[in-house]
Amino acid sequence: MEFFKRINLERVKPHLPWLTLAVLIAVVGAANPQFLDPYNFLLLLADVSPLFIMALGMTFVIYIGGIDLSVQQLANLISVVATVYLARFGFGVALIAMAIGFCIGCISGYVTTKLYVPSFVSTLALGFVALSGAKYLSGNRALSMDAELRDAAFGWMFGSSWGMPHELLISLAFLAAMWFLQARTRFGRALKAVGAGELAAVASGLNVDRVKIFAFGLSGALAAAAGMLFSAKLSGGDAQLANGFLLLVIVAVLVGGTPLTGGVGGVLNTAVGVMIVAVIRTAMVYLEVAANHQQMVFGIILMIAIAATIDRSKIRVVK
Amino acid sequence: MYELRGIEKRFPGVIALKDVDFHIKRGEIVGLVGENGAGKSTLMKLVYGAYPPDEGKILIDGAEMRFSGPRQAMEHGIGMVFQEQSLISNLTVMENVFLGFEAQFVRFGIVDWKAMAAAARAQLQKVHLDIDPAEIVGRLSFAQRQLVELAKVLTLEERVEGDLVILLDEPTSVLARKEVELLFRLVRELTHRASFIFVSHRIDEVLELSDRVYVLKDGEVVDVVEGSAAKTEDIQHKMVGRDIDKEYYREDKQRPCDETRVMLSLRGLSQGRRYRDISLDVHAGEVVCLVGAEGSGREAVLRAIFGLEAPESGRLEVKGEEIRRFSASDSAARGIGYVPRERKVEGIIGGLNVFENITLPQMERYSSGGVLHIEREKQTAREWVEKLSIKVPNVERDCGGLSGGNQQKVVLAKWRSCGADVMLLDHPTRGLDIGAKEDVYEMIREMCAQGVGVVLVPDTLEEAIGMGHCIHVFKDGAIAKSFRATPGEKPSMYDLLHYMI
Repeated sequence: MEFFKRINLERVKPHLPWLTLAVLIAVVGAANPQFLDPYNFLLLLADVSPLFIMALGMTFVIYIGGIDLSVQQLANLISVVATVYLARFGFGVALIAMAIGFCIGCISGYVTTKLYVPSFVSTLALGFVALSGAKYLSGNRALSMDAELRDAAFGWMFGSSWGMPHELLISLAFLAAMWFLQARTRFGRALKAVGAGELAAVASGLNVDRVKIFAFGLSGALAAAAGMLFSAKLSGGDAQLANGFLLLVIVAVLVGGTPLTGGVGGVLNTAVGVMIVAVIRTAMVYLEVAANHQQMVFGIILMIAIAATIDRSKIRVVK
Repeated sequence: MYELRGIEKRFPGVIALKDVDFHIKRGEIVGLVGENGAGKSTLMKLVYGAYPPDEGKILIDGAEMRFSGPRQAMEHGIGMVFQEQSLISNLTVMENVFLGFEAQFVRFGIVDWKAMAAAARAQLQKVHLDIDPAEIVGRLSFAQRQLVELAKVLTLEERVEGDLVILLDEPTSVLARKEVELLFRLVRELTHRASFIFVSHRIDEVLELSDRVYVLKDGEVVDVVEGSAAKTEDIQHKMVGRDIDKEYYREDKQRPCDETRVMLSLRGLSQGRRYRDISLDVHAGEVVCLVGAEGSGREAVLRAIFGLEAPESGRLEVKGEEIRRFSASDSAARGIGYVPRERKVEGIIGGLNVFENITLPQMERYSSGGVLHIEREKQTAREWVEKLSIKVPNVERDCGGLSGGNQQKVVLAKWRSCGADVMLLDHPTRGLDIGAKEDVYEMIREMCAQGVGVVLVPDTLEEAIGMGHCIHVFKDGAIAKSFRATPGEKPSMYDLLHYMI
C-alpha cells in the first residue's frame, strides 16, 4: 500500500504512453504468441508508415494548441496528383507533392494566425478545398499508376534490407529529422515556447505568427509525404484513398502524450502513440472486430485520450 | 458572529496564510490591509468559499462550517463584491441582479419580467440607485455598476436566514473621490443589514470607514487596530515590518542620468480612449516612473513602446530612430526589454527551463543556420544565474517551479543578457517578498549605471519616489503632471496623489 501511496499521478503521467504500449504488447502477445515474432512486428510497423509520417506533422500543430483536420484530404489530393503527374516528373513528383502540402498548410496557418479563424475551422475548410481538387483532377475515378514507371520511381521504397523493411527506414528517417528539428533548432525551441506559453513568447519578441504558420506548413508537407507514400504503395490514387487516416492520426498523437492543449509531448511521443494504434488495430483483427466497428473503438479511445491528457488549467471555457 | 480560528492555507512552495484568527461582529465594518502578496486575496477567497482552509475552523454563530464553493457560502449569507466586476455586460440590470436565482419569478416555465423588475427595483432602492432595471449593464457607468453589484449581493438578505457578511474587494480603486464618499455613506447605512469586510490598499480609506482593521503581513495577522485610533503611518509601518528608508530603494546609488543620450522619445502618442497626447523622454541611466490609478493608461503606453499594441497617432523614437511598424520582435531586436506585469503569463514560460527562457529573445545569437548551440546557451545562463544570484540547482530546471523572485530574475536576465538598453518594467516587484524586491531595485540601479534607460510602472508610490529620476502622473489616459525626482527634490506621496485623483 505504501508503495502505491507514493506514486504521484503527475509524475506517472509522462510515462503512461510507453507503459500502455508495453502492457498492450504483453496482452496481445499472450493471446497470440505469433504477434511477438520480431519480423512480424517490423512488418506491422512498416505497414503504418504513412500514418506515422502524417502523425509526425500533426504533432507540431497539436503541440502549439491547434489541430489540422485537413491532413486526410490533403493526402487524398496528393495521391491523385502523384498518380496523374508520375509520368511527367518521375520521383520529382514526391517533392512537388510535399511543396503543395507545405503551401496548403501555410495557408491554413495564415488564415488561423492572421485572420483569427480557429484552426479546426480553417483546416476543415481547406480540407474540403483539397478534396474538391482531388475529385476534379481525378474526374472522380480511381486512377492507377503505370506499373513500370511506379517501380522505377518508387519501387525501392517497398523492398527490405538487412531484415528492415524500407518503409520503416523511411519512417525512421522522418522521425530523426523531425526530432532534430524539434530538439535542436530555433524553430523547435520557438515551437516549445509557443506551446508552453504563447503570450510570454510574444512578450519575448518572438515572431509567433511565423512559428505557427510554419508548424501548419510542416503538417501539410508531412501529410503530403504520407499521401505520396500511401499512393505509391497502393500504386494509384483517388479522392477517397486516405479516408480513415484522420481519426487514427489524432488518436496516435494524443495517446502518445501530446495533449490538445499543447506544450508537452513531441515527436517521440507520437512514435509511441502510432505503435499503440498499430497494436490496437492488430488486436482488433485477432478479435475479429469488423472493420466498420473499428472506427467506433478508435472514436471512443479518442475521447478517453483527450479527457485524460488535456491540461484543464489552460482552458477557461469549452464551447 | 463570523469567525476564523487558526486558519492555515498552503500552496505549493508557499504558506499563504498561517494561524490567522479573524472575527466580525454584527453590523461591523472590518478593514483588511496588507502589501501585495501578504495574503489578503487568499484570506478573502477563503471567506467567500472559493478555497477550503488546510487547517483551522470557520465558524458562523459558533457552528463550524465547511464550504464546498462560493454558492454554498452565499447560502450562509456570505457575499462578495468583486474588484473585477462580475456583472455580465450584455444582460439587463435585473437579469444580473437575479442571475442564477430566476426560479422565484418563473411561472409555468416563463419568466415574469414585471415581477422581476419590481423586485430588482426594490433591491436597487437599498443602494439608492435610481435606474431602469431593464437597462443593459454595459451602458451604466463604472460607479453605477459597482452599486448594482452591491445590490446583487444584498439579495442574499431575502434569501438566507441569519446575518450577512459582505466582502468589498478594492471597491474604490476606480472611483472618483466623490463617488467614494457616496459609497462609504451607503456602506455605513447598510450596516443595519449586513457586516462588511473592506479590503483596500488605500490605508487612509480603510481607516476612515472601518471600525477595526486587520493588518496582514506575510500571511499572518500582525496587528488589529481600532479604526478611529490608528494612524496611516503606523499601519504602513506594520505592513512593511520596518521603516521604508532610503536604503531600501538604493537611493545612494541613484546617479544623475546622461542628458545627452535620449533612449526613448514619445511625442503626442495617442490611442483612442486609453491614452492621449503622451510626450516624454527617457535618457541613458534614467528611471522614468509612470504612476496613476488602475486603467489610467500607463500599462498601455508601455505595451505601445514595446510594439505589442500600436498607437493611433503620435511619434515614437527609439535611440533616435522613428518607429513606424510596431512589432514586438522588432523592438526586441532594437534592444528594448519588457518585463510584463503578469509574470507567470507573459514573463516566464513554465515548461521551459532556465536557459531556454533566458535565450528566448536572442536565439539567433546562439545558433547558426537555425541550429542551436545549446552548450553556449547554458554557459550564458550559468553566468547570469551567478551574476543575479538566482537560486536554482542547475540551468536545466523548469522555470515554472521557481519562486516569484527567482522567476523575475530570470526575466531580467533574459533581457539583460541580450544587451537590452531600454527596459520597460511593469510592476516588476509585484508579489515578491521584501528580499527579492530589494534585489530587483539593486538590479535597476546597476542597469542605470551601465547606461540603460528604464521606464518603470511601479507597484507603489513609494517605489516611484524612491526609484525615479522623473515621475509622470497619469490621469484618465493623459499625463496630469510631471515631477523631477532626483535625490534632494523628490516629491511627496501627497504631491503625486493630488494629481492622480
